[in-house]
Amino acid sequence: MAATIRPLGLSAEQPAEDRPKRDELVRVYVWELPVRAVHWLIFFSMIVLSVTGYYLHNPFFIVRGQAAFTLATMRFIHEVTAFVFSMAFVVRIYWFFVGNVYARWKAFVPVTRRQRRGLREMLKYYLFLRWVAPQEVGHNPLAAGMYLLVYLLFLVQILTGFALYEWVLGTEPLRTMFGWLPRLINIQYLRETHYFLMFISFAFTIHHVYSALLVAIEEANGLMGSIFSGHKFVPAKVVEQDAAEIEQDAAPNGEPAK
Amino acid sequence: MFQFDSDLPSALERRGISRRTFLGFCAAMTATLALPPRFIPRVQAALEGADRPILIWREFQDCAGNTESLLRSSHPAIADIVLELFSLEYHETVMAGAGKQAEAAMEKVIQEQKGKYLAVIEGAIPMGQGGVFCTVGGRTALDIARQVCSNAAATIAVGACAWDGGLVRGAPNPTEAVGVQEAVPGIKVVNLGGCPHNAANTVAVLVHYLTFKELPALDQYGRPLFAYGNIIHDQCERRAHYDAGRFVEEWGDEGHRKGWCLYKMGCKGPQTNYNCPRVGWNDGTSWPVKSGHGCIGCAGPRFWDTMDPFYNRLPNVPGFGADVTAGQVGLGITAATALAFGAHGVASAVRAQVRPKEAVEKPDANKLPAETPAIQATEEKPE
Ligand code: SF4
Ligand code: SF4
Repeated sequence: MAATIRPLGLSAEQPAEDRPKRDELVRVYVWELPVRAVHWLIFFSMIVLSVTGYYLHNPFFIVRGQAAFTLATMRFIHEVTAFVFSMAFVVRIYWFFVGNVYARWKAFVPVTRRQRRGLREMLKYYLFLRWVAPQEVGHNPLAAGMYLLVYLLFLVQILTGFALYEWVLGTEPLRTMFGWLPRLINIQYLRETHYFLMFISFAFTIHHVYSALLVAIEEANGLMGSIFSGHKFVPAKVVEQDAAEIEQDAAPNGEPAK
Repeated sequence: MFQFDSDLPSALERRGISRRTFLGFCAAMTATLALPPRFIPRVQAALEGADRPILIWREFQDCAGNTESLLRSSHPAIADIVLELFSLEYHETVMAGAGKQAEAAMEKVIQEQKGKYLAVIEGAIPMGQGGVFCTVGGRTALDIARQVCSNAAATIAVGACAWDGGLVRGAPNPTEAVGVQEAVPGIKVVNLGGCPHNAANTVAVLVHYLTFKELPALDQYGRPLFAYGNIIHDQCERRAHYDAGRFVEEWGDEGHRKGWCLYKMGCKGPQTNYNCPRVGWNDGTSWPVKSGHGCIGCAGPRFWDTMDPFYNRLPNVPGFGADVTAGQVGLGITAATALAFGAHGVASAVRAQVRPKEAVEKPDANKLPAETPAIQATEEKPE
């Protein structure tokens, strides 16, 4: 990195000479540990769930031999991983309410003027109507909106998955929690939805990796590394601007960026 | 209409049914109801002491398949015992009377035995155009069902059609057929889905009613739990092959000859709640999966529409023609996404090459205050 990296000191108490210059890249702690942990839990469980889930749909290899227990093993792994996945999802939902300003639910619902503008500009960038991508500290509002849809997809997967699980198990408390679903929508359509959404999650993953790479390269903000370390590198002026705007947007109960 | 006998044992004897057969029947019914053997004497006593409750069996939009499956069992004990246990006051397929007299006899029973007789309904009830698609003796099925069911102690809906409309309700359902619980809401009803019902289960419901003076425990669809409490898949004798991952891939292949699991041939056992593997068909000799064909889910709700196609795992995707699977559509979407972003990547690389320097240096007027100097970040790219 060409720029000197200085600790972020944007508070008013900081003596002016210690504060980073406006164009200097500063290191911002964006993704807290739970956010990163959930990201990787979801990443790994999605791989496991897709492989085992596809096998459950279409057992594409047949194991010969006396002691084969392939499908049951696949199913067991699928179910255990499903619990890991669901818990990761629950943690992330919890973090929507207690996490930092980049992780809060408000960052994902593009309603404020700032977010709508960011969304528009990012869309323009994707549609080749802008030369450079707008810079953001947290998620850009377009990506954030996308993630909201993905969380919705995850929720549907969890609901349909547990409904299928309950169908086999037929015990409490799953029956009360998920038994209503097959009564509403036939079990076959739940099964189909559960299977079909796997492909939508593939499509999302393609988009996600591509866009992350694109933005990381174009903005050179350390985005790819940030999901490991939690830190992004953003020009000081962008951080400053972002913090000011978030503070403006923040409702009485929302805390401004630290 | 029917000859009345003083007591069941002598009546059965006259039909040539030995006491041994009768006790066997009691044991089989107790087992079907998933009750422990110590209930056998109780069932037996209840049946022997029963005062022949009256049954009114009405057929609407049906094929008489449920009647047939009850009456045509190869050893006649079940049908004979049922005919002796109950006073069957109306049943189009088996009664001797016909026309106005038969209808009058039913009228009489409904009036005199109000709230005491049992109604059995077979077949769906059309609701379209005032129900004209099915009339008996000049009255619509709906009209008859309302009268028969709402005056009965309880209604037993036998077969898929009487439960939820079955085949008759299959898309596009021109007669707007529904099952009896929808046609006559608010009645006490036991649903015995299946195409046809399994006579053993239906008779077990009747036996339960005679023994305990109440209907068996029901599930969320109003089906008795003893018969519909478990999925087929969990009771299937091919399950070990399923767990092992050994599947029939083609009719008549090695796996089929060896009796492997029919999952890949579209078996709906994992979706269907029923006790076929336990009770069996044709007097318990076999059941579909045992004889080498996948379950088609005939005991599931709206199965003609929802379990279709019978030889695939999942329903076809609506709006995509007959043979397109969810997997094909999903793969198509995935591939299209990959292509689209691949193309976007190429275009972005081109943009990065042709991007004028001023564009990079020009501040993002919308994003940053006007006095902000140009963004330098892109120039500070590593390498
Ligand atoms: S044959 Fe059908 S019911 Fe039996 S184990 Fe296979 S899938 Fe399940
Ligand atoms: S195996 Fe399935 S389709 Fe066949 S009778 Fe039983 S529930 Fe119906």
